[in-house]
Amino acid sequence: MTRTYRWALYIVLGAVVFAMLSPIYWLVQTSLKSPAEMASFPPTWWPSHPQFSNYTDAISKVNFIGATQNSLTIAFITTTLTTLSSAWVGFGFARLTAPGKKQLFVILLSTMMLPGIVTLVPTYLIFAKLHMVNTYWPWVAWGLGGSAFLIFLFRQFFAGIPREMEEAAIIDGCGYVGIFWRIFLPQSWPVIAASVILSFTGAWGDFVGPAMFLSQDSTTLAVAMASGYVNDKGLPMNNLVAAGAVMYVLPVLVLFMFMQRRFVSGFATSGIK
Amino acid sequence: MSSALTEVRRTAAPAAVERPARGKKPPTLRKARTFYLFVAPWIIGFVALTVFPLGYAFWLSLTDSDGLSPKTHFVGFDNYIEIFHDPLTISSLAKTGVFTLVTVPLGILAGLLLAVILNQPIKARGLFRALIYLPAVVPPVGAALTFRLIFDRDAGAANGILSSLGLDPITWLVDPNARYVLYGLVMWGCGGSMIISLAGLQDIPRELQEAAQVDGASYWQSFTRITIPLLSPVILFQIITGVIGSLQSFAPLLLSSGSLSGAGTVPQGNYMYMIHVFAQYFSASRFGYASAMLWMLFAVILLVTLVIIKVSAKTVFYTVEPEGKK
Repeated sequence: MTRTYRWALYIVLGAVVFAMLSPIYWLVQTSLKSPAEMASFPPTWWPSHPQFSNYTDAISKVNFIGATQNSLTIAFITTTLTTLSSAWVGFGFARLTAPGKKQLFVILLSTMMLPGIVTLVPTYLIFAKLHMVNTYWPWVAWGLGGSAFLIFLFRQFFAGIPREMEEAAIIDGCGYVGIFWRIFLPQSWPVIAASVILSFTGAWGDFVGPAMFLSQDSTTLAVAMASGYVNDKGLPMNNLVAAGAVMYVLPVLVLFMFMQRRFVSGFATSGIK
Repeated sequence: MSSALTEVRRTAAPAAVERPARGKKPPTLRKARTFYLFVAPWIIGFVALTVFPLGYAFWLSLTDSDGLSPKTHFVGFDNYIEIFHDPLTISSLAKTGVFTLVTVPLGILAGLLLAVILNQPIKARGLFRALIYLPAVVPPVGAALTFRLIFDRDAGAANGILSSLGLDPITWLVDPNARYVLYGLVMWGCGGSMIISLAGLQDIPRELQEAAQVDGASYWQSFTRITIPLLSPVILFQIITGVIGSLQSFAPLLLSSGSLSGAGTVPQGNYMYMIHVFAQYFSASRFGYASAMLWMLFAVILLVTLVIIKVSAKTVFYTVEPEGKK
């Protein structure tokens, strides 16, 4: 690799990184501006007097604490149930045989291509009929059903564990539930970690689900942030929007920074293996 | 929904009861039963939360249901016929098509280019990868709000740059500029595509490229003749998931009012198919017609996916799975 070529690469990468990070910079600096500074044109590149009170205002202006609790509850339900259920089903596909298994597996893989929103709207109508709108039951149901992609991830992992493990356990009188619970699940922590991260960020980021299934006063942070900060005239209060958005996005970014490898392995395997 | 749980328990119980009779049952039958015990949650979930809603939507699409009044009439395929006479449906489908044709190839190309650059042995490439990927993990609502702020008429960075260059400010979030903000928002997440392509590149055995170089192939030749063919399944996967995602995108809603009933606030240029579906459901309460629109979208997505798979069958190169690869 020549010197000039190497430098050209760094310049391109520097420009891309700048383009990728500057929106986040703009979000943070907007979150610290006063309404007066927001109204002046041209905009300043850094707030003249950083207003940290925007953050407390953003918390009190909408039901921030309540929405955070709802987001966390839904994320917790989704994460634990989806992970456990997907591991359970993935074990079945990896370790057991039965007539119809091949066809079921093909169906499983093709459901990954189903358009999610197309089924979500009629699901809403069904849950409305069952009076389960504005409860957490829909998330319990989705969680128990598992996620096709995560089932696939677990299956791939379990299929790679040597057969002797399972045979030894069977000789010792251990049933398949015990084999799954005591031998396979404890070994699969890399997949569990990926699954927890994927389902947590998915649930935390979901907008349509809570917007449809929960009422305005019991909704999640994602929904509250998307439309919550408006003044009496119905105009958005952009400095508060920014402060709220920073607090909403931050947990995911922190999770990403600490668990980068799991994020990447989770998303990256989606296409290939 | 508790029925999924009880259902699982119910299937679990007989298996436990029959355990003492282990010796009499043929082992394959027992194993088959255990298999279905394990996959039951997914099967029940798939039937209850996917097949049944789709069927219900199809039934609704044959009625004039508004979700409230008890009197719904069977109208046959009237709703489907209306789709072809509703100019908003047709134009929104066309806009969705353009959006897909622009953003999917651009996103994949940008991701591929970045992946190729970051697959080379340069310093701090781990850091570069992480920083470029970062926007892809920002939740959609957070990303849309950020772009709303950047392209705000008065307080946005975009107009700040224009004014420091001596140009007049632009109202970005309305027609005809809103669509460029939408494209920008989608492209901000192209790090996701980079990560998938990067994983694909790392799977290509290094010896292949080295052998080509020994034989005197240029970098470009080894890229087009070795890297691209070996990467083609990964690219195909990204095209399919990208197209499916784009066709049902509702990102314009998040860029404007940020509420499900706010389809009216979406600029005409961003009035895509899903926005029109939301308008029919949540503003007009035309459940029957909106369900027909959803089935239409389902059919379009299915058709497009099949066409892509068919067309690509000759160009996509699948290696035989090496033995022991999991």
